[in-house]
Formats: sequence, C-alpha cells, structure tokens
Amino acid sequence: MSDLNEPTPDSTTDPSPQGRATGAFGLPRLNIADRYSKAPLWVRMPIVLIGISFAFYLPFLNILPFAYIRTDLTSGGSDWGGVLFLIVIYMIVAIGLNVVIGLAGLLDLGYIGFYAIGAYSVALFGSPSSPVTEMIADKFGLSEGWAVPFVACVPIAIALALASGVLLGAPTLRLRGDYLAIVTMGFGEIIRILSRNVTSVTNGSAGIIGVPSPPEPSENFFSAIETAHWYWLALSVLILLIFLTRRLEDSRVGRAWLAIREDEDAAAVMGVNAFKFKLWAFAIGAALGATAGLLFASKQAYVEPTGFALNLSFLFVAMVVIGGSGNMVGAMLGAFLITYLPERFREFQDWRPFAFGVAMVAVMVLRPQGLIPSRRRAREFADRKNEAEEAAADA
Amino acid sequence: MGLGALALALTVTASACGTTDTGGSASEDGACEGKIGVMGALSGANSSIVLPSVDGAKLALKQWSEENTDCDIELVEFDTEGDPAKATPVATKMATDDTFLGVIGGAFSGETRATKSIYGDAGLTMISQSATATDLTQEDQSPVFHRVVGYDDVQGAAIAKYLSDVVGAKKVFVIDNSDAYGEPLAAKVSEELGDLVTASDKTQVAQTDFSPTVSKVNSSKPDAIFYGGYIAEAAPLLKQLRDAGIDVPFVGGDGLYGADFGKAAGAAGEGAIITCPCVPIEDGTFAEDFEAETGAAPGAYAAEGFDAMTIFLDAIADGARTREDIEAFVDDYDEQGLTKQLAFDENGDIAVENVVIWAYKVVDGQLVPDQEISLS
Amino acid sequence: MDFNALIDGLGGHTLDGLTRGSIYALVALGYTMVYGVLRLINFAHSEVFMVGTWTVLGVYTVLGADSESAMPMVIFATLTALVAAALASASVALAVERIAYRPLRKKNAPPLIFLITAIGCSLVLVEIFGHVLKVFFGAPFGRAPVNVPSPIQTHTLLTIGDVRITNVQVFIILGAVLMMVALDLFVNRSRLGRGVRAVAQDPDTAALMGVNQDRVIMLVFILGGAMAGVAGLLFTINFDITKFDIGFIIGIKAFTAAVLGGIGNLRGALVGGLLLGIVEVYASAVFSSNWADVTAFIVLVLVLMFRPTGLLGESLGKARA
Repeated sequence: MSDLNEPTPDSTTDPSPQGRATGAFGLPRLNIADRYSKAPLWVRMPIVLIGISFAFYLPFLNILPFAYIRTDLTSGGSDWGGVLFLIVIYMIVAIGLNVVIGLAGLLDLGYIGFYAIGAYSVALFGSPSSPVTEMIADKFGLSEGWAVPFVACVPIAIALALASGVLLGAPTLRLRGDYLAIVTMGFGEIIRILSRNVTSVTNGSAGIIGVPSPPEPSENFFSAIETAHWYWLALSVLILLIFLTRRLEDSRVGRAWLAIREDEDAAAVMGVNAFKFKLWAFAIGAALGATAGLLFASKQAYVEPTGFALNLSFLFVAMVVIGGSGNMVGAMLGAFLITYLPERFREFQDWRPFAFGVAMVAVMVLRPQGLIPSRRRAREFADRKNEAEEAAADA
Repeated sequence: MGLGALALALTVTASACGTTDTGGSASEDGACEGKIGVMGALSGANSSIVLPSVDGAKLALKQWSEENTDCDIELVEFDTEGDPAKATPVATKMATDDTFLGVIGGAFSGETRATKSIYGDAGLTMISQSATATDLTQEDQSPVFHRVVGYDDVQGAAIAKYLSDVVGAKKVFVIDNSDAYGEPLAAKVSEELGDLVTASDKTQVAQTDFSPTVSKVNSSKPDAIFYGGYIAEAAPLLKQLRDAGIDVPFVGGDGLYGADFGKAAGAAGEGAIITCPCVPIEDGTFAEDFEAETGAAPGAYAAEGFDAMTIFLDAIADGARTREDIEAFVDDYDEQGLTKQLAFDENGDIAVENVVIWAYKVVDGQLVPDQEISLS
Repeated sequence: MDFNALIDGLGGHTLDGLTRGSIYALVALGYTMVYGVLRLINFAHSEVFMVGTWTVLGVYTVLGADSESAMPMVIFATLTALVAAALASASVALAVERIAYRPLRKKNAPPLIFLITAIGCSLVLVEIFGHVLKVFFGAPFGRAPVNVPSPIQTHTLLTIGDVRITNVQVFIILGAVLMMVALDLFVNRSRLGRGVRAVAQDPDTAALMGVNQDRVIMLVFILGGAMAGVAGLLFTINFDITKFDIGFIIGIKAFTAAVLGGIGNLRGALVGGLLLGIVEVYASAVFSSNWADVTAFIVLVLVLMFRPTGLLGESLGKARA
C-alpha cells in the first residue's frame, strides 16, 4: 500500500503485446472491450439497452438452462429477488470504493462507516420511533408518529456522508498509504461503536425499527416481500450512478486522480492539487457508500450496529481488488461474485467461508491484476512482472 | 420504471418456454404434506447456540413421522449466519413459497426483528425457540410471531429475585456486554434490583481482557455479580475475577446456558449460576433420544426447538393445511410441552405464569438444575 | 465518567495496561518486521497468533497438565508449550509466505494484492480451526470457545500500597520484554540480523552485497511467527481460553500498536503496544470497556497527526533499530 502511489515506470509507454495479453482469458476479453469501445454509437446504444433490460428482467428469469443461476432452486435456497437486491447494493458500494481505491489510489479500510452513516441517517430521521425524530417532534410539538419523509432523508444522508468524508479526510489525507489505511479502519470502528454506545441518539444495540420505504407508485409496491421491486429500484440507482461515475472518470477530476495514483509528486509538479482531489475522491466515495446503506436500511426497515462490523470493510476492499481495481466493471463483477456465490451454493453451508478464503488466495496468486482489470492497470501489472523477471534474470 | 414494464412484458412471453419450478405451489387439498422452515445461524461463530434447537426440531419431526407415515412433512434449514441482512432473502423465499406452512425462528432477536414484517405480509406463522428480546412482542407486535421462551423482562425479573432472595445479596455488581441481548437483560435486572445494585460496568463482545472491570468489582466489594452476555466472554471474565480473589456468587443469563460453558470456563466456572427460561429435562426420554440421534447431550434450546416443531406437527395432524389454519391452530394451542405449558397470549408470548425459569449450577463442568425461580 | 477511579487505582491500572500491552507488542513485532522488509501488512499474522494458542492447548492435553499439576510438571509443560507454540506459529507464518506471498513477489505485485491475499489466508486458517478440523477430529475444534487450562496458578507476589502484583503479570511483562530484547539484539548484533537490516534498507544493494533476499524474508516470517507463538502462550496463561477467531481482535490491536509506535520499527512495536494497552485500560477505567476502542483510535489519529510515521518513526534498517 505504501506504493499505491509509487511511480510505475513505463506505464505510459506503448503497450507491448505482453502488456496487453494478461493471460489466456484476458486477451479475448480485452479484444471484445476494444471492439465495443471503438464501435459507433448506434451499435453501442442497443447493446447497452439490451443489457439493461436483461438486468431488469433477471428476477423473472425462468428459462432453462439460464435459470440455474437462480438461488432459490433448492428448497433451502434464498429468494432470488432479495439476493439480486443485495448484489446491486454491494455493486454500488464497489463503484464507490473503486473511486477511492482504484481511481485515487487511497486505501480505505473503513468504508463500512459511510455505509453505516447512510443507513443510520434514513433510520434516525425517517423512522417515527427513532430517538432523533421523537426529540424533534417533542420539541416542536409535532404529532405522534411524525418523521422526515423518505425523499428528504436522501439529501440528509448524502450531505452527512459528504461531510463525514471531508471531516475524516481533511486531517488524515496527508498520511501515506498504510497510515491512512489504519486511520480509516479506526473511523469505521468508531462509527459502529458510537452507533452502539450513544443510546440516547441511536437507540444503541437494539437498533431502530420502522425505517421508511421510498414513495410507492401503488400500495404495497415496496412491501418487504416484493423483492423484485426493490431490486428494480436499486438497479435504477446503480445505472444512474454508473453513468455519473463514468462521466467523472473522464473528467478533469478523474484524470487528476489517475495522475495522483500513478505519481503524486509528479502530479503536484504538474499543478494538480493532490490534497484537494483526494478529498474529492473521499467525499464522492462516501456519498456512494451512503446511498447503498440508505437503500439497504430502507428495504430492511431496520438498522442495528452489528450490521456494520469491520470485516465487511475488508470484504468491500476484496470485491474491488478481486474484480480488478480501477475498473468499474471489474469492481462490480467482484461485488457480484462475492455476494452471489455464497448464496448460490448454500447447500455447502459451513464449508463456504473456507472455500471463499481458498478462492480468494487462488485468484490473487493466479491473477493479481483482478478478474477484469482496467487496461491501464493490466499493463502496469505486466510491466511490474517483466521487471521482476528481468531482475531475476540479471541476478 | 419504464424498463421494468418492458421486463414484465418479456416475462409473460418467456415463461411459456421451459421453466424451473421455483415458486412452488400449495399442496393438493387435504394431502398431508408441507414444509416447515427453520431459520438461524447454522454456520459461523454463533451457530453453537442455534444448532441444538434445530436438532431438537429434527428429532420431533422424526418421532412424529414414524407414527404418521402417511404424511410428508419436510423440515427445511435456512442458514442466516445470525445476520439480519442475510436473513431477509431467506425469509422472503419462505414467505413467497406456498409450500411452507410455518417457520421455526428466528433464533436471534436481530434477524427476527428484520424478518417479522416479511412473514407478517405473507401470513406465515413463526414460532421462535430462542429470540427473547422484549420488544418483539411487547412493543412491535406481529400477528404471526410466537415464541416458546420467556422474554428478557421476565427473565430479568426472575434473576433479580434470585439474587435478592436466594443469594441474599445486598450489593450486586451488574456487568453487560453492550449487545442487543446482554444490555437490555442487565438493564432489567438492575431496574428490578433497584438500590441493591452497587455499581455496574459495560464490556463488549469479543473482549478477553477484563482487568478494568475486575478492578471496579474489587473496589466496590459486591456480594454477588450478574453478567448479561455470552459464553466466549463470560469464561475469561470469570477466570480473571476468581484470579483476583473475588469469590462471590456469579450469576449469568441464558446466554451462558449450554454444554459449551463448562468447556470454555474450566475450573473458574465451578459454582457459577446460570438462569434459563428452559426447564431441566427430568424424564430421560428426550435427553436419551436426543443423544442417540445427535451424539451429544441436548444443548441450548434443544427442547424449545422440539416444542416449536411439535406445535406445528400437532397443527398438521389436526388437519390444518393452509397458513390460515395453522395460524388459527397455533393461536388457540394449549398443551403441556416438554418445557412448559404451551399457550400463547395475544402478543404471541407464553403467559408469564407458565414461563418457568430455572437456575442451574455449574458442577464439574456440567449444568446441574439447582432450583426453579418462582416468578410470583 | 469517573476520573477518580482512574487516579485512585492508577498503579493497578498501569500494571494492567502493561500486561495487556505486552501481548499486543509481541504480536506487533510480526507486523512490523514483515513491513520493515517487504513494505506489506501481513494481515494473516493474527491467525499465526491463534495457531499458537491452539498449540499450547495441544501440549497441555498431551502432557496432561492442568491447574493441579505439580511444580516440575508446571515448568516442563510451560517450556514445552513455549517451544511448541513458537515453532508452530513460525511454521504457519512461513507456510503463508511460501504458498501465498512468494508467487506474488515473483510477479512484483503491488501491496494491495498482498493485503487481499493475506485476508484470504486469514480466512482459510480461521476456518481450518473453526470447521475443517472439527469435521475430521470433532471437539475441541469448532466455533465454541475452549478452555486452555494453564498449569500456572495466579497468586499475588507482592502488594505495594493498593497495587497487587501477580506472578502471571510479572511473567507476561518480563517474558515479552525479554523476547523483545533478544530479538533486538539478534537484529542489531548478529550476522543474520545484519542481513535483515540490509534488505530493509535497500534490497537491491543488499543483493549486490551477497545477501540472499529470500532467506532474509523467510527469517523475518519465522521470527515474527515465533514471537506471535510466544504471545499465544502468554495470552492463554492470562485468560485460559482460545477460540477459532481469537486472533482477529488481537491482530487489529497489534497492527494499531505497530503503527502507533512506527511500523517497521522494533522498539516502536514495544512502545506502541504498551502505550495502546495503557490507553485502553485507562479509558475502560474512566468510562467503561465499551469505550476503550474509540479512545484508542482517537489517540492513534492524534499521534499520527503530529507524528505522521508513528511515535518512533519507521526504521528497521537504521542502526538504532
């Protein structure tokens, strides 16, 4: 981590064939990506639309053999729509964390803190039984059961997350990689412990029930068992966020992040205010994490502190890195695999965490660049590997 | 949402092709078949508190099926790892699959809180073997939720009574683990004890070094200690208390109940008192059958799991075939179970007078029934 | 908030803090040595500690040692457990290096990849004790906590004022400090230790000077692992317990201690560990134990804001160690 920001020599030189070929599976996939990105708009648009409509259709996918991806085929399975919803939530988390880790190169081990802030914001302000709404209602003589409507909770959650991102980032972003990692980890833990200990505000370990649902087009549209509706909602948010993040990556801010990640000193010499852009990455990442947390809490209708444990932060980082840090599609793939596989293979029960650990090590050892790395990262890894081989040959 | 409509339209055309049977359908009228789900932490760190109750339920089904060979009832296990986030998809699956007639669970209060409304929407009856949080029935009622254990407030009152009447303590030191189980239980104990509480301290889950708590106990010189929490923390806490020469009675709630306590606490655990809303299995058959079936003595809530399953099986034997029938039957149920007289009040609780709370004493690493704590 | 409780029992709390911190410090050595040489956080190190505690249990079970054992048996069992735990932990640390890290080093992968690999290894080790071994051997493996009946009985050695000093506290603090002095001498005085410092300072030049880098890295993992094994023994003597996931919290705390003292710095690990232990115990005395972690992290952030590389700075390579 110390050299997340270290210069990576030659990463901008012409891609050698080895630089592109990142393994037997990598090569054809990159070709598809190349051909897709070079295709004219009238080819790309329908592909995107078909992809999106397929994603919306997924909860009802029932045609063999594709239906085998469903998680509810065995009698001990879990609801397919509910799993899809969770996958999409973690995908939002992964895009957010990818901004921080993959694009800006900052190791954040406390991302769950922002997720928790999103979840608790909607619970604290939106639930009629939270201590915060009760206090406000009491103070202003509002009727019993008053709460901030869901629509107003969304900006509150995002504003709180942005503020906490800046508050955490401002004093700590000057720290180097590993030190930042542990400070963010501490932040995640502090959020969880505060939500548990400050009972007068958060209702403590008992948690808060009655977290509001989004406005419904028809009655019971967002009831707890209509998981497909929740999935559609999360998916729509995800698509919107993908679009926004894509724009951001290609913007001046995105280029500044890349420059900082590759070589902070060189970027500074070129006039990039590293601190400012890192803070941006932190705040934007925080807002995305909070959005995911907010949707999760709303579907769950219940938040409690143990849901935001430290190991989830590690899991989030694993999603981004295993998928391919720096590449949004990769990060989303990581989120998908890590959420989906344990649900799909429930019949293996207690063997799943063990298998998960083995798979994690195997993927990293065999494919350290991640499953779908960004092109730039893949080249970087190949360069590093060549370098190591050359050094070994010299010795 | 426009695309959602498109997707819906696609479904209609697509579902005509080959499909898999995922939704399930209700059984033919009158056929004696159906599924009962059991949901809880079947894997992961907390599974040792849940698995015995699942084994208890399995045993009930096995014994019943031997007598009712014409019935085809299946007990389906759902692992939630005790995590509310993982419990909701599981609950939705059961709620939307009509072949499920009832659910045993949730095993923990957190997952129960998160899934109660899902089962409520689907009218699927829940009987929990071990979710004891007070608010589940006292504040946020649900028509489908029932439990065969006394809730924390009842247990807390019983513990306070035990401390003041049986132990005769004048100064009690109350410790909790800051979690959703230990904190409210310890709060209730403190509330009931009133002036008898000399001091208190809060610890946390996964803590092993309790030296600050030990010095607080040392300086307030109590004549009894209550701990609301689980075995993994109680064992090192007790060891450190005893090492510091604090030999006053140590009382814990049902979070410490189970064969694991003796194994974890070792010599330091001797003489500790553990209360539990679970009766000792006096007549040997259940304990023997259980041991024959699983190879282990009945652990925490094994008998409660057995009772919960028995209620559902009785309903099915009575001819209940739909969720409405089951719910109606369970609401009117009034039978002597393994653990207590099983009848539910309008909130889904066992009537307080039927709740039995027992104090167990640790002798040679085993939990030995000491006495019943009278609640009146 | 009860500052009087802290001030009244200051001596006792400090002693408790030092005892707690000694174990943090020993585990922190493993993080700090690997970091000093490889610049990577070995998150699997917490499980190296966990294996140590289980090895101690194994030794006691085989020897039949428990709280009733006679004095010669107590000494024999403790020494055997010490050696066995150090060996077992060192082997596990080495195995993680060989199986997971070495292939990555050959590819010159960036440290983030090592981190995720380490988390994977950690999960594998936890699950081996929590599930895999249980499937094959049954209890005591599995998810439930297990008593480790330490043959050393706690008794009060001497009382100064209100402060009660027990044999176990002395054993832990002395043991940790002795191990650390030995390690410090080894790294600074011995030939092998010079190799470690050389690689930490400048791997390329060290290679030119004929230092075998792979061997140095193996040595670092073995030493760090052995220290974690010793910490495992001291932990079980104090708490009489182990569990498949017992390493997680200790690992996080030890890592925090290493960063607090200056990661990569051996003496920093000692200072960081002891300071962290004391801060936690003081915070627990003033508030309660459920605030200890928040206080510790806030102290960490404050320290890092004024000394961005920890209290003693990072310098495994420098002569002052």
